[in-house]
Amino acid sequence: MRLGDIYFIAKDEWRYWFRSRLSLSAIIAASLLLVASLINTTHQVQTESATREGFQQEAVKTFESQPARHPHRMIHYGHYIFRTPTPLSVIDLGVDASAGTVMFLEGHRQNSTVFPPNYSNAYAGQLADLSPAFAYQMLVPLLLIILGYASISRERELGTEIVLYSIAVTPMRLWLGKTLALGASAVITLTPLVVGLSFAVSEGEPVWTAAYMFLGYATYLLTWVFIITATSAVCQRSASAFTTLLGIWIVLCVISAPLASSIAETGKSYEGKVASDIAVQQALRGTGDGHNEADIAFNQLRAELLRQYEVKSVESLPFNIRGIISLNAEETQTKILNRFSDQRMEQAKAQTQVIYWLGLLSPTLALKNFSVNIAGTSLSEYQRFQRQAERVRFDFVQKLNTMHAEQLTYDDDIKRSIDPLSEQRTRIDSHHWKILYATSHHENFEVARISESFPHFLALIFWCFFAAIMAANVAKKGDKNVA
Amino acid sequence: MISSPISAKNLCVLRGDNQVLDNVSFTIDAGDIFALLGGNGAGKSTTLLTFLGLISPSSGQALINGVEVGADIQGARAQISYLPESANLYPHLSAYENLEYFLSLAHISRSPEEISLSLDEVKLAPEARKKPLSSYSKGMRQKVSISLAILRRSPLLLLDEPTSGLDPLAIDEFNIILKTLSNLGTTIFMVTHDVYGACEVAKRVGLLRQGKMTSMFQAREDQKISVDEVHQAFRQSQAS
Ligand SMILES: Nc1ncnc2c1ncn2[C@@H]1O[C@H](COP(=O)(O)OP(=O)(O)OP(=O)(O)O)[C@@H](O)[C@H]1O
Ligand SMILES: [Mg+2]
Repeated sequence: MRLGDIYFIAKDEWRYWFRSRLSLSAIIAASLLLVASLINTTHQVQTESATREGFQQEAVKTFESQPARHPHRMIHYGHYIFRTPTPLSVIDLGVDASAGTVMFLEGHRQNSTVFPPNYSNAYAGQLADLSPAFAYQMLVPLLLIILGYASISRERELGTEIVLYSIAVTPMRLWLGKTLALGASAVITLTPLVVGLSFAVSEGEPVWTAAYMFLGYATYLLTWVFIITATSAVCQRSASAFTTLLGIWIVLCVISAPLASSIAETGKSYEGKVASDIAVQQALRGTGDGHNEADIAFNQLRAELLRQYEVKSVESLPFNIRGIISLNAEETQTKILNRFSDQRMEQAKAQTQVIYWLGLLSPTLALKNFSVNIAGTSLSEYQRFQRQAERVRFDFVQKLNTMHAEQLTYDDDIKRSIDPLSEQRTRIDSHHWKILYATSHHENFEVARISESFPHFLALIFWCFFAAIMAANVAKKGDKNVA
Repeated sequence: MISSPISAKNLCVLRGDNQVLDNVSFTIDAGDIFALLGGNGAGKSTTLLTFLGLISPSSGQALINGVEVGADIQGARAQISYLPESANLYPHLSAYENLEYFLSLAHISRSPEEISLSLDEVKLAPEARKKPLSSYSKGMRQKVSISLAILRRSPLLLLDEPTSGLDPLAIDEFNIILKTLSNLGTTIFMVTHDVYGACEVAKRVGLLRQGKMTSMFQAREDQKISVDEVHQAFRQSQAS
């Protein structure tokens, strides 16, 4: 095997790029863009983290410095939970750019995430697009096209292709050499990605998930390398190779993503917000108001407790029935709210599922799906945060309700608005606030991220193999259409 | 029996719907120079490309050392130095770089001195050698192309209009080079429009007209092929 030939051809291609002004300026422009995108997202993620951290500290301080209070007032006072961005979000911001990172947790309600109040949304809106993920998905393929569209067709136009074949260079080796040259430049463009990934690793991302992400991006670019060299080998003229590749780029990189979204939207439609709110309200009606112990909805519970403890009146129960009713009401409501929120999440997921399947039709979509899933900036990750936040909320509320039931007497509780001493006794000490505040989303879901991104990784591998086989097949017939 | 290095047997070639070569047969003996003459579009370049395996015959055979080209394309190409019709080289590279690149791909190592020497032989101006070929004239590029064909020192040389674009002095030099190579044993198959040059160097001259070999001239031991005779035959073949 004359491997040296492949290397010589690749080296010559590099020499050509360095002597051609267009190639050189394309390389410089793309490098600047990649570095800029990395600086941009890193800056964005760090600013956000800092903002969030400041806000969080403030919120914790305010919560913890609350004086002794009635537990139910603290349930309504509520607290904040923060979504810590995954380290890999410096590569791909995904839904983080638009989904909000802080959630207010309180009793009887499930809130959605919002941005911290002093968070500069304009910044995210304008520049979020220039992330390394965007640069690698859209811009680097364009750079590779500019570098490689003429790699073989140029030789055909110059007539040097015939000379190469006449000195026993095989079409296969010519193609491999050109592919090596373009592949090597693709690998070099991955340097900023490696820098970004190393940064993520230094922030606590495991090395293997970072390496896996690298592999996904490398596979994607390699697929483009094959598409480009194959097109160049097939086309008689460089101009037609360029137009063809530009067409492929527009279809794969520009059209496929919005097209997939619109297909997904027509396929599975969201229930309207108003309609679903009404449905929730209807389901909640009749569950009883936890603030009103006399609500007929709790008649059965009350009767059961009296029978169980063999007492005649609620005053004689060994605990505060108001707390028990609150506990009970919160649990019933939460079950209903969770049912609806699960439904909404499933609907949202079903939409993205359609996009996932469409990923088989375009390597760019496959990479997009792969990237957000492994970066932990996907809808699934966001939903995991929502579920986790809900567990924290429920836990927080029920702890206070338990205190309400166990540490406050019923007698004090009903008299607290008329008797200042009872009012004093229904306040629980502020040291409890320290234990209650759960601050942020710290759980790391590597395994889930890997398993969710894996089908898309397979799609990328499939595309790469498919492109390689197609390319090799058209390239090996190269000497049949030169003369 | 030693088979001749280059031979065609009833060679027919189709390009598209055109019958470009029609039953062409000839043999070139080792160390001989064979010149193929013919009008534009007669099928001369096609004949050379067929021997390189870049075009497949529709019937008949193109043989290199008795082996059909199609049976071992890479083997045939390894024997051949080919000079294409127009100097096909890289404009972004200098003469030296072009030669180095092609030689390395042909797995031939030549020292910088040898390369310089061969450029001396074809009389390429020394001050031009390190400049990119995009700044060369047609003849200068042709000289680099010839130099590449010579440097490979292949046993077989296929030349497509090697003297086109060369000035008279360079043509004379080139003819001397060809004769030297032939004396050293190189078998040369040359396509040309230069009747004088052909008769000057060739052992045999073939006349191709619309894909058919119409006449063949042979030099004698003591006498070159007559330019007038070839001229006349050429004119007649074009007229009929
Ligand atoms: N790529 C091609 N596809 C189809 N037909 C071709 C092609 N190249 C050449 N031909 C046809 O083949 C015939 C022979 O062409 P060829 O190039 O062999 O002629 P030639 O003798 O070398 O002419 P010239 O002296 O002009 O170089 C011509 O009729 C030409 O039209
Ligand atoms: Mg010709």
